[in-house]
Amino acid sequence: MSEVIVITSGKGGVGKTTTTANLGTGLALYKQKKVVMLDADIGLRNLDVVMGLENRIVYDLVDVANGMCRLKQALIRDKRFENLYLMPAAQTKDKTAITPDQMKKLCQDLKKDYDYILIDCPAGIEQGFKNAVAGADKALIVTTPEVSAVRDADRIVGLLEAAGFEDPKLVINRLRPDMVKRGDMMDIDDMIDVLAIELLGVVPEDEKIVISTNRGEPAVADESSKAGQAYRNMIRRLEGEEMPLMAMENIEPSFMDKLRIFFGLKARAR
Amino acid sequence: MTNEPVVIKGTKEGITIILEEKSNFEDVKKAIYDKLQSGRNFFAGGKVCLKIKNGFLNKGEREKLEQLLMDFGMSLQEASSPKTLIFPKPNRSRVLLLKRTVRSGQKIAYRGTIVILGDANPGSEIVATGDILVMGTLRGMAHAGADGDTTAIVAAFRLKPTQLRIAEVISRPPEEKEEVPSFPEIARLKDNVIIIEPYNVPK
Repeated sequence: MSEVIVITSGKGGVGKTTTTANLGTGLALYKQKKVVMLDADIGLRNLDVVMGLENRIVYDLVDVANGMCRLKQALIRDKRFENLYLMPAAQTKDKTAITPDQMKKLCQDLKKDYDYILIDCPAGIEQGFKNAVAGADKALIVTTPEVSAVRDADRIVGLLEAAGFEDPKLVINRLRPDMVKRGDMMDIDDMIDVLAIELLGVVPEDEKIVISTNRGEPAVADESSKAGQAYRNMIRRLEGEEMPLMAMENIEPSFMDKLRIFFGLKARAR
Repeated sequence: MTNEPVVIKGTKEGITIILEEKSNFEDVKKAIYDKLQSGRNFFAGGKVCLKIKNGFLNKGEREKLEQLLMDFGMSLQEASSPKTLIFPKPNRSRVLLLKRTVRSGQKIAYRGTIVILGDANPGSEIVATGDILVMGTLRGMAHAGADGDTTAIVAAFRLKPTQLRIAEVISRPPEEKEEVPSFPEIARLKDNVIIIEPYNVPK
């Protein structure tokens, strides 16, 4: 039983590509699933760079969609992780190079041979977004604890609901427990309150992500990385396990902090 | 109503086309054509009554209109009763019930009252000619009495709107944020100013 999951956010730079890379790698590495990570960000591809596979691209998504090559020719097998494949986006074209119907067909074809197809969605709500969600069964929405990111995530939830997605799940990225504690950052409850969707996981801010992204080695494989641990937990939840949220040193703000939130952050949050 | 030569209304018996005045027949024909064209599929298969307020059509003109209507899949009937039907003005007795969260970028507009079982998030717009009632948190923009009803209200379980509008009056929450009360509130117009009061169950 295979699943196509689109990873989306609305706003750019919140960590869609990082999330895709880490969840994909984790599912292949820890759950021995056959995984395809599909980069739908045509013209601004990044997933290949984050995975360190840029120099192995010969064919891409657009070539497959237009019948210029066979599906298997475009899929890049990651030599470090068995069962992990990347379908790169074209860099010299734009979002209009493929249609939602072509994406649907591509996803159907991939579903025959792979357990998980993770689609890295481009930012925005235009053609690129429509293409990316066309073939998906489920959706993950990535947000950071910022008012603008949450606003965009809310917009995306609305669009996904209109497109028939039943229960998109939320990934909160780059949370800083110390800032939440001081009342300088939105806390998890604030975000859940507005978005009213189920939480898949919370990824703490972690320097190691920057390092691993630059090196092309997903942090999920790094046992010492806190963010990596968060991704490993999410993978287990995706696989249907009950996993409590990671304890992040008393994330609940104190009473005084809450008071400060009222006068500070919440006022801006509206 | 505007001074359009042709008005199309839906009635119990079907569709009524009212010709406001006996103006130039070709103009009337063109106006009917344009109206039907814009709602092509909507009108197909309908039965039509013709009402002419001033003046009348001669036989040839009537046949031309009949032909035009048939082109749109409609059939012309004799007016069933000479008396003019009175249409009730859409009012607050019409209620739209939404059982979901209204999210950023979504706009709900309705002629009547809107009741939302859920939240209205920042970036959403709720516009009603009557009242607006949110059984959750109102965080977006709400406009009650949108066609000028100054008695319209906005009520919410938690009233935290980005902006409130009632009839022609627009207001926003004060910049310096006072504590948001944790009880239901009602916004209404008083002396052309929007005031917010706690919701007290009427005795």
